[in-house]
Amino acid sequence: MSTVAVESNKKIWGGGQSPFNLSYGKIMMWYFLMSDAFTFGAFLISYGTTRFFSAIWPDANSVFRSFPYCGEMNLPLMFVSLMTFILILSSVTMVLAVHAGHCRDKNGVIKWMVWTIIGGIAFLSCQAWEWTHLYAEGAWWGSFRNGAGAEALPHFFKHDVDPTLFASGGADAAHKFFNFFFTITGFHGAHVASGVVINIIILLNTINGTYEKRGHYEMVEKVGLYWHFVDLVWVFVFTCFYLL
Amino acid sequence: MSEFSHYEADQSALYSGGHQQDASSAESKGKVKKIWMVTGILTIVTIVEVGLGLYGHSVGMPKSMINTFFILLTLFKAGYIVKVFMHLGDEFKNMILTILIPLTLFIWFIIAFLMDGSFWLWINHYFGIR
Repeated sequence: MSTVAVESNKKIWGGGQSPFNLSYGKIMMWYFLMSDAFTFGAFLISYGTTRFFSAIWPDANSVFRSFPYCGEMNLPLMFVSLMTFILILSSVTMVLAVHAGHCRDKNGVIKWMVWTIIGGIAFLSCQAWEWTHLYAEGAWWGSFRNGAGAEALPHFFKHDVDPTLFASGGADAAHKFFNFFFTITGFHGAHVASGVVINIIILLNTINGTYEKRGHYEMVEKVGLYWHFVDLVWVFVFTCFYLL
Repeated sequence: MSEFSHYEADQSALYSGGHQQDASSAESKGKVKKIWMVTGILTIVTIVEVGLGLYGHSVGMPKSMINTFFILLTLFKAGYIVKVFMHLGDEFKNMILTILIPLTLFIWFIIAFLMDGSFWLWINHYFGIR
């Protein structure tokens, strides 16, 4: 029996039917994602406030200029673009898995879920490299506090930065910048990591035929929502940290 | 069995209608084609963003103009992800509104906090704190 969401002569919210024609799990996933959007939004806005508060700020093209195995070559934003591209692609493979689920194509779901998981792991590996690289340059939570390790600082700013502002506020700005950078990309990375774990669980369920028996692949759609949200957040993190 | 227990006991009843399709059908192929088209759009927008970030200054574009472009392109990308990849565009309108209306809080949120930040910078400068 198919569920008809709205019948004309009936109170939609009177019970006995689903006003949005959505299952509980999917609605709650959407509302969870909305609340999570506020958490990320609060992080990014506090970053923006601190940045507006500072007379000087590190330059993204100077901080993020390295690429694995390229040594001292100046390649601003190239690595993070690659990371962004990987995450977008894993979002695409996820939406293809959801589509295969709509078609009840079990092997299709398995194939695209595997690619999604590979994409997620590749993104996390890139992030691990980037963190390690910045750590090696002296940046970490709490680094450059009170000007400690300041000899590494000129690295992170534009060449033509105002020397007076740099002397008075450079270390403090770098200190705040990296606190925010590691907190926000770390929080996002934790989302990616948990997403990969959930994706693996769903993949195993698919292989075991759980959803085939159930008659539909809605679970793939629900984790898909979470996975796309992680991609969506990255779009904003990318803009706030690397572009603006 | 009453009408109530029907969907409370079996959530999948809410799911089965309208979603199932044949992988080889024209509709299915059209959807896959659209997914790849959106992939192309997202990729191109990202490349444009990076290009702007790298070369915008060298061609003398003002920073405020570049940033406006960045924000618009980001919202453009976010819209495509939510509408096509997350299928929010296919849900009931009221459902979409319960997601989108709370998010308008961000308009106040961003303006208020960024103004606060720039005020602090100004007042610290005014009193010579930094």
